[in-house]
Amino acid sequence: MATPIYVLGGYQTDFARNWKKENKHIVAMMREAALGGLEATGLEPKEIDVGHVGNFAAELYAMQGHLGAFLVDIDPSFSGLPTARHEAACASGSIAILAASAEIEAGRYDLAMVVGVEQMKTVDPGRGADFLGTAAWYDREAKGIEFPFPKLFGRLGDEYDKRFGLKDEHLAHISTINYSNAKRNPLAQTRSWYMTEDHARSTDKFNSVIGGRIKISDCSQVTDGAASLFLASEKAAAAYAKKRGIKLESIPKLLGWGHKTAPIEFDAKVAESKGNPYVLPHTRQAILDAFKRAGIADCWGVDAIETHDCFTTSEYMAIDHFGLTKPGEAWKAVEDGTIEMGGKLPINPSGGLIGCGHPVGSTGTRQVLDAYKQVTGQCGEYQVDGAKKVATLNIGGSGTTSVAFVVG
Amino acid sequence: MIPIKNVVLLGANGTMGAGSGEVFAAGGCDVVFLARTVDKAHEGLVTAQNMAKSARIADRISVGTYEDDLEEAVSKADLIFEALAEDIELKKQFFTRVDKCRRADSIVATVSSGLSIAEMAHGRSETFRRNFLGIHLFNPPSVIVGTEVIPHTGTDPKLTKEIVALLESRFGRIAIVTDDKPAFAGNRVGFKVLNEVAQLAEKHGVAFMDYLIGPYTGRAMSPLSTVDLVGWDVHKAIVDNVHVNTKDEAHDMFALPAYMDELISRGHLGNKTPQHGGFYRRVKEGNQTINLVLDPKTGGYKDSRDAGAAKLPFVEKIRDLHRVGRYADAMKMFTTAEGAEADLARKVVFGYVSYGLNRVGDREVVRSPRDVDRIMGFGFNWAPPTVLVDVIGLKETIKALEQYSLPVPKVLQQAKPGERLFTEPHVNVGRFFAA
Repeated sequence: MATPIYVLGGYQTDFARNWKKENKHIVAMMREAALGGLEATGLEPKEIDVGHVGNFAAELYAMQGHLGAFLVDIDPSFSGLPTARHEAACASGSIAILAASAEIEAGRYDLAMVVGVEQMKTVDPGRGADFLGTAAWYDREAKGIEFPFPKLFGRLGDEYDKRFGLKDEHLAHISTINYSNAKRNPLAQTRSWYMTEDHARSTDKFNSVIGGRIKISDCSQVTDGAASLFLASEKAAAAYAKKRGIKLESIPKLLGWGHKTAPIEFDAKVAESKGNPYVLPHTRQAILDAFKRAGIADCWGVDAIETHDCFTTSEYMAIDHFGLTKPGEAWKAVEDGTIEMGGKLPINPSGGLIGCGHPVGSTGTRQVLDAYKQVTGQCGEYQVDGAKKVATLNIGGSGTTSVAFVVG
Repeated sequence: MIPIKNVVLLGANGTMGAGSGEVFAAGGCDVVFLARTVDKAHEGLVTAQNMAKSARIADRISVGTYEDDLEEAVSKADLIFEALAEDIELKKQFFTRVDKCRRADSIVATVSSGLSIAEMAHGRSETFRRNFLGIHLFNPPSVIVGTEVIPHTGTDPKLTKEIVALLESRFGRIAIVTDDKPAFAGNRVGFKVLNEVAQLAEKHGVAFMDYLIGPYTGRAMSPLSTVDLVGWDVHKAIVDNVHVNTKDEAHDMFALPAYMDELISRGHLGNKTPQHGGFYRRVKEGNQTINLVLDPKTGGYKDSRDAGAAKLPFVEKIRDLHRVGRYADAMKMFTTAEGAEADLARKVVFGYVSYGLNRVGDREVVRSPRDVDRIMGFGFNWAPPTVLVDVIGLKETIKALEQYSLPVPKVLQQAKPGERLFTEPHVNVGRFFAA
């Protein structure tokens, strides 16, 4: 990128927590993420110039809007801090990162705090699924439909099936890999859950069909969580490095970004991509833009990917859209171990949205934080050996808003 | 240590048996669920499926009876895991039988929550004794990952170490090693507090004590509700065992209150006896469910709407602060609030910090404060003692301990001001403070 954006670190809350059971307000989650991030980076609150919040639907889940203002509540030094909240469904966190980095690029601020947050366990699953339906064209695609999003992403699988053929066993394997990776991640929601390939392949009362070809094991989780990220201009990063006696070059950067929006209706997306080798061409373009800006020829220029597996079908889509295989041949990378830990290009070492969890507005910041942790060797048991560059893909709606980053 | 592939579970129909079986099957072992009848063993299998939320876990589980299948199953087992009732004679009978048919290299473990491991091993063969230890999982094991590993003096030390490593790496546990002392570490420290609150309930009332030492003091569930969940019979067994077999600074706090003893004899065992209840009881009146609360003075129950705790301003203020994530401010208020109620709450909570950290030492239950922290945090879901010290402050904690004439643990005497004592990685300490 023309003006480098440095990533100083951040903090993720434990995605296994249930904040309603703890009787907490959403600000407690934001507070833990922000203060945890300040401690992890060693930054002082007074050093922060601007705050951005990524959140999808606190008005619905927590009866609370205006989340940017809650950053000010976290520390007395934040009084007066310019803040904003950003919403693009499940891509809200990445949009907040883009907004923060755009301001740094424009020279307005040098040090931005980004907090992605969602509290979802406040309502029963059916009501929560209805709230999530507002990420689609609600009146046309979600109103009165039970679990609209599993059905929409089931149709993504159906479209793959129609164009190229798709076996459910490959989706089951994607689920199994994500759960397996999550077991190594101490902050993953499902780290102690039971999952095997046999279970993911079975259809019974414990793994029932939620919509179309999507079963429980194909779904990401209902998650409470927040992740903070601290982004800096070159000037601020240089000062940060000098103060700590480290080299500026040792601090990772957002090397590239891509951002595209497709028509919101799923049918309109499919109609638009007719004849295109890629089912979601705008998602493909967001990835290519990120690669281009990062100076990377293709996916083999990164060492790992954190992608948006809101359902197994979205990860299946991401595999060929990232270019690991030709369009429609993602099953090859699923079968031959390419995407597993230790494989040629591991996907979702963290466990992804299926294993680590999917607090909607936090997912984008969590992905970039995990990318940062990977390239700085801080992932412990889910570390991809020698990771230098990591790509992320965050998607809002049924493949509607796509944001990709390369961190390294 | 031999690789653990085949596991035999004794007492598979109980909650701990089925839950332990689920943990071993989920970790990739083939597990034989044994009970008195095949139906009972099968009940355990269904419980394990419900815990795993998967029918397929049954692929790794087979069922049988003590009468028909024990000898053959035990002869093939790498690990024989005992989860029978907490009756040492019953356990010993089974161990005698197991000793006759087990392989010499097989490992034998008990899930006992506090009985003497040495006593269970007494009289057994040399290879049995060397390969025998306690593996105390907490209920329900599919959710609570804290685990105690308890060797007796004859246990192969190498085995203890390897079991701890295996429990953590393969079975997703957070494991500590404790000495073979009554109730081990978690229940010793935890039931001291639970029984102290039960004693205080006689004077101050059940609802009041549960409110005063409620989740805001660093626990997922209030103390007397916890005793109802655990079962009064289990509570009695644990505190009686500690009271008879130990002598420490909190000895009197392990004396079971007379009202509890009396009610237990009348069948009041907590949630497991809903018709009698425990500290709490629910009754149906027409379509309505009425929540009743015990009056320890009379042994009778009153409508909780009449016998509920009056709200205390300092407790409500602390809860408000926890609710918005201001844990340090909340606990500062806890240490400075005025009045007899605040003093009583502090006496119990700082008593927990003192008692927990005093169980650390060469001749004590565990070797390191980290052990107490881990088992209280991940076995009980209570704020670990050093988390409370970190949040409250070292100086303030020591001052409070002295004020309430509680022994200041060595680890606090030796700590440096400003040094963080709770060093467990990846743990959000905020999770321990419910509002």
